[in-house]
Amino acid sequence: MNTIPIRHKWEPYLWLLPSLLLMSIFVVFPIGIVFKLSVSEISKSGVVRGFIGLKNFRDAFRDPAFGTVMLNTAVWVVSVVGLSTLLGFITAMALNAKFFGRKVARSIVVFPWATSLVIQASVWNYIIKGEYGSLNNILLNLGVIKSAVNWRATYQIEFAWECGVGIFVTIPFVAFTVLAGLQSIDDAYYEAATVDGAGFWKKLRHVTIPLVKPSLTVCTVLNIIYVFNSFPIIYTITKGAPANKTDTMVTLLYMRAFYDNQKGPATAMSVIGFAILCVCAGAYMMTTMRKEEA
Amino acid sequence: MRPSTPETVRRANLRALAVALLAAALALAMLCLPLYRFSATVFAKKSGNTFVGDEKYQAVRAEVEAEAARRAEVTDRMPEIVENVTERTNSKGEKTSMVAFEVREVMRRTGWQFIASGLGCGKVLLAALICFVAALALLGAGLPGAMATDWPTLPASKRAPRRIAAALGLAALLLIPVFMMGCNLAFSRQIKLASDGFAKPGLEALLEKLDRFLYDGAAGEDTLNLMGGVAYGPTWALRALIALLAAFTLGALMLSEGHPAEALRRALLYAFIIALCALILYPYYVMVITGFRSNAETTDMYFQHLLPTKWVWSNLRDIINRGVPRFLLNSLMLSVGATVIALLCGIPAAYAMARMRFAGKKAFLGFVIMSQMFSPVVLLVGISRLMNAIHLNDSVWGLMFINAAFNQAFAIWLLRGTFVSISSEMEQAACIDGCNTVSAMLRVLLPMAAPGIVTTLIFVFINAWNEYTISTVLISTAANKPITVGITQFSSFNMIEWQYLFAAALVATIPVVILFMCIEKHLAAGLTAGGVKG
Repeated sequence: MNTIPIRHKWEPYLWLLPSLLLMSIFVVFPIGIVFKLSVSEISKSGVVRGFIGLKNFRDAFRDPAFGTVMLNTAVWVVSVVGLSTLLGFITAMALNAKFFGRKVARSIVVFPWATSLVIQASVWNYIIKGEYGSLNNILLNLGVIKSAVNWRATYQIEFAWECGVGIFVTIPFVAFTVLAGLQSIDDAYYEAATVDGAGFWKKLRHVTIPLVKPSLTVCTVLNIIYVFNSFPIIYTITKGAPANKTDTMVTLLYMRAFYDNQKGPATAMSVIGFAILCVCAGAYMMTTMRKEEA
Repeated sequence: MRPSTPETVRRANLRALAVALLAAALALAMLCLPLYRFSATVFAKKSGNTFVGDEKYQAVRAEVEAEAARRAEVTDRMPEIVENVTERTNSKGEKTSMVAFEVREVMRRTGWQFIASGLGCGKVLLAALICFVAALALLGAGLPGAMATDWPTLPASKRAPRRIAAALGLAALLLIPVFMMGCNLAFSRQIKLASDGFAKPGLEALLEKLDRFLYDGAAGEDTLNLMGGVAYGPTWALRALIALLAAFTLGALMLSEGHPAEALRRALLYAFIIALCALILYPYYVMVITGFRSNAETTDMYFQHLLPTKWVWSNLRDIINRGVPRFLLNSLMLSVGATVIALLCGIPAAYAMARMRFAGKKAFLGFVIMSQMFSPVVLLVGISRLMNAIHLNDSVWGLMFINAAFNQAFAIWLLRGTFVSISSEMEQAACIDGCNTVSAMLRVLLPMAAPGIVTTLIFVFINAWNEYTISTVLISTAANKPITVGITQFSSFNMIEWQYLFAAALVATIPVVILFMCIEKHLAAGLTAGGVKG
């Protein structure tokens, strides 16, 4: 084991102290506040009036937008995580092959990851603008369309665009974690597979996928958490309009907390969100812990 | 793979060469065929309540034919007469017809005519032709004497020309859509713009070229009007040209890579990479060209240039006057502060996790992982109350601590991965020599772990720089806003000043993108190292 001797029994805890303190104050404490508020009555001016049981949760479930928003959240997480994982995997495979200009291509793929989501979302917001948006301009110039198309005709289409932007900005993260996994695969496996007469698809199924699975699992679970909690894309492009039809859970709770002054139901929604994510984090911990033991 | 003898290689190469040369010959032949077909209505006449063939019909028909003959005298070409018959039943139950005649002139233009026209699209076609001829020449240089050499053993002097030939073939192929775009600009978009009264500079010259190109210079002043009614479309020859250029590229690839399957795989790989990079760069391109356009141009429905017609550098001056430097300074302070705090807390923790054995190690790891799933957005209500209580709301300092705390998990994760991958032997030796643990870490481990630490540092910096959600809730004073929140002042509900929004976004994006490119190589490894190396 790669360890060093310790002088006192409490020494390791001293090393952990700064980090523990920082996270306790700024992460754990707010968690506590949110949980407490979720079962408290909060006046319009924000004063906490004491325990009211599960009324906030009942209000949250009765929120007229709750059903739509839960459905949206599911569509949002599944489509963004699913498609970005698939496309990110293909991208990683492509970036792992040898070709002229690979360094440049890798640097370019990093761009969306390094850019603030609010900026990316603003640009896409401009691109799909109805009359003068850049997409219409380009397609008109290319002659693909003869007159300007309204790219955001219905809220379903707008939501689809938001999912698209979500996929777009998530691909680099997947691509680079998978790429790291691909790079650590020994070429000997492929050579052996070639000798055995395996083609591209067989190598993919029996060598590549099993060996990058650990990286893929880690990044998928992290992605589920990030995507579930993703806020700027939807907030910038539609702000949930019309009538919360394009909201996901986090944008709805933001609106309820800071626009509609319903802090109680908003914190209840936060707690519901935790509950959902706990399942994911549980799966995450189980996979990482299992790897730890292996 | 099949074993390759000189004979099979020679035969395969001959096959590939045949494909490439046949495609090349046909592609050049396509240039002599019409690439675009134009058709314009020059005269229209309707005849109502009639039957095909009766007197009324004949009368109108004669009139139309006379007009067509008159046109033929002017232009030396017999125009086409189009008849549209609409049947209908009148009140007495009789079937009558409405016949609408149109005199349409159909014009076809070959590739060479395009090139000779001097129009922008012609120049693009010429560029494609030059690429193509260069590719052919290189293919000629890369073949002699090595027709039977197996592909893996090809000398660079033979392989490079073949590869470049394939790349030039691809370039020629990609120039064809650009050519089509140029055609659209010349034949429709600029014309529409001009007839709507938005004359752009260079219109006169364009009309003169169009007049010569389509009407042999006979249209003169009428060119704009005539062009307004022109319908046009690519012919089959243009589509064939695209396919032939693709076939040529594939043939050249087969000559440099070997088996058709391998060549096709390479072609698909390049196609995917080019499409991906184009898609990723597209928003940045939009950012650049919009950030330097004038306000009127950003909302111009007929904007048709690849670059701003005039680079409005004063946009930069305007955003400087509207507080952007202050926002950038805030972002810088906040990111540097968050990075320093995150590393000061994270390095000792990661060190303990990597090097020491103690009870509760797993619990701490679990705690770190758990903290990842609580994003700031869901905790916003709690965070804003906490910050109110400790009087750090609306201040850059508060943001520093929050960002540091929410990046702890990743920092510890990345650092621990780095530390674990470095052997502890040197530190153990230092400890035996009487050095304490702290100086062992500072003097021995940290210098060796420098790449991993720099990666973590930049990663935390970028996350803090790009953070938007917490800042937008906590900060209300304009002077304390970081750049991500600051730029939203350019987009209010009823008016978005796109040019300022994107100029500021560009300034905020370029530094972090460059930073990120520096750590890209280490980051990917670091992200999984934490998980894989345990």
